[in-house]
Amino acid sequence: MSEVEEQLPVSPQDGGRGECVEESSDRGAAVGAAEPPPPSAGSPVTEESAAEDTKKKIDILLKAVGDTPIMKTKKWAVERTRTIQGLIDFIKKFLKLVASEQLFIYVNQSFAPSPDQEVGTLYECFGSDGKLVLHYCKSQAWG
Amino acid sequence: MTDDKDVLRDVWFGRIPTCFTLYQDEITEREAEPYYLLLPRISYLTLVTDKVKKHFQKVMRQEDVTEIWFEYEGTPLKWHFPIGLLFDLHASNTALPWNITVHFKNFPEKDLLHCPSKDVIEAHFMACVKEADALKHKSQVINEMQKKDHKQLWMGLQNDKFDQFWAINRKLMEYPPEDSGFRYIPFRIYQVTTERPFIQKLFRPVAANGQLNTLGDLLKEVCPSAVTPEVDGEKKNQVMVHGIEPLLETPVQWLSEHMSYPDNFLHISIIPQPTD
Repeated sequence: MSEVEEQLPVSPQDGGRGECVEESSDRGAAVGAAEPPPPSAGSPVTEESAAEDTKKKIDILLKAVGDTPIMKTKKWAVERTRTIQGLIDFIKKFLKLVASEQLFIYVNQSFAPSPDQEVGTLYECFGSDGKLVLHYCKSQAWG
Repeated sequence: MTDDKDVLRDVWFGRIPTCFTLYQDEITEREAEPYYLLLPRISYLTLVTDKVKKHFQKVMRQEDVTEIWFEYEGTPLKWHFPIGLLFDLHASNTALPWNITVHFKNFPEKDLLHCPSKDVIEAHFMACVKEADALKHKSQVINEMQKKDHKQLWMGLQNDKFDQFWAINRKLMEYPPEDSGFRYIPFRIYQVTTERPFIQKLFRPVAANGQLNTLGDLLKEVCPSAVTPEVDGEKKNQVMVHGIEPLLETPVQWLSEHMSYPDNFLHISIIPQPTD
């Protein structure tokens, strides 16, 4: 199984860790500019056959809240050691938000993890169906 | 015999005698005297050090006073970690008082989060409480509470009011009568010697056979290096919570109910065994 991956520039705020956030493509889905409709609960998910432990990257599904702009690409393969702050910086860049604009990320639509939290830990504890669903919002959605 | 509830009070009222000294390179108009303070183990540095800031501001020029930050023997202290955790992890086997250096310049952006106001501490604290309840109760208990109950948790912590805090927190320590404990135990294991910030995984308080899982079971599962003895049979690490080493036979459900921090997490330090 081959996966189309797009290398993206590393955010300088990452402290030189050299991680990148890579686009994770769905098997069988058309690759290109056309954006498929927002995935429903039953939509296909990329499955890795390798054991969870050895997987360096985890799948993150980003969902917009309220009138926050929707990411053209919602599914990303992210290094486990990537922090929430690193993810916030990436999303802000992707959505072309200015640095002063705030962005909040929520897990389980209930809590906002600390900016230094690693996504790998969140995936371990709150991931389901092989991915971590994160909601993002320009204002505080769930306190 | 000591009631289990006494443990809750002992944990809440734990204090660390601390000496704050201004970093020598800070520019002062007069000599800065050190400042002594008993720090609550269960609180956060930026929540309880207003007096420290005021004390050193008196000898500095207004324009030199920017965001305060703290350091111990060269290590910036993360204000968003509870004080007791910071002490156990970095200084538990050194002589008291805990000597902390105070800085106002050169904020270490890569190591510390900014803390511009008390609201930031409250937001962080509440996020931890919510994350803990997501693990314990699928967020059902915290979500059923009103906003004023959430506020009461924070006010109880901020004002050091044990009864006010526990009037609400006791609900977060309950579980359905048909279960033997929480769904998963909120815990974080810290080691200074490792690269990763902490270990946090899903761990059930009860095993498949119905037995209560112990602290030893938890460590064997998520951090086996902490409990494997050295070649000569000597324990190489201390497993510390609130300044003590609980017996490894202690059920984690009990530890979670009685020795969690106010954020409802068990913050556990693995530190090298002291050499005399």
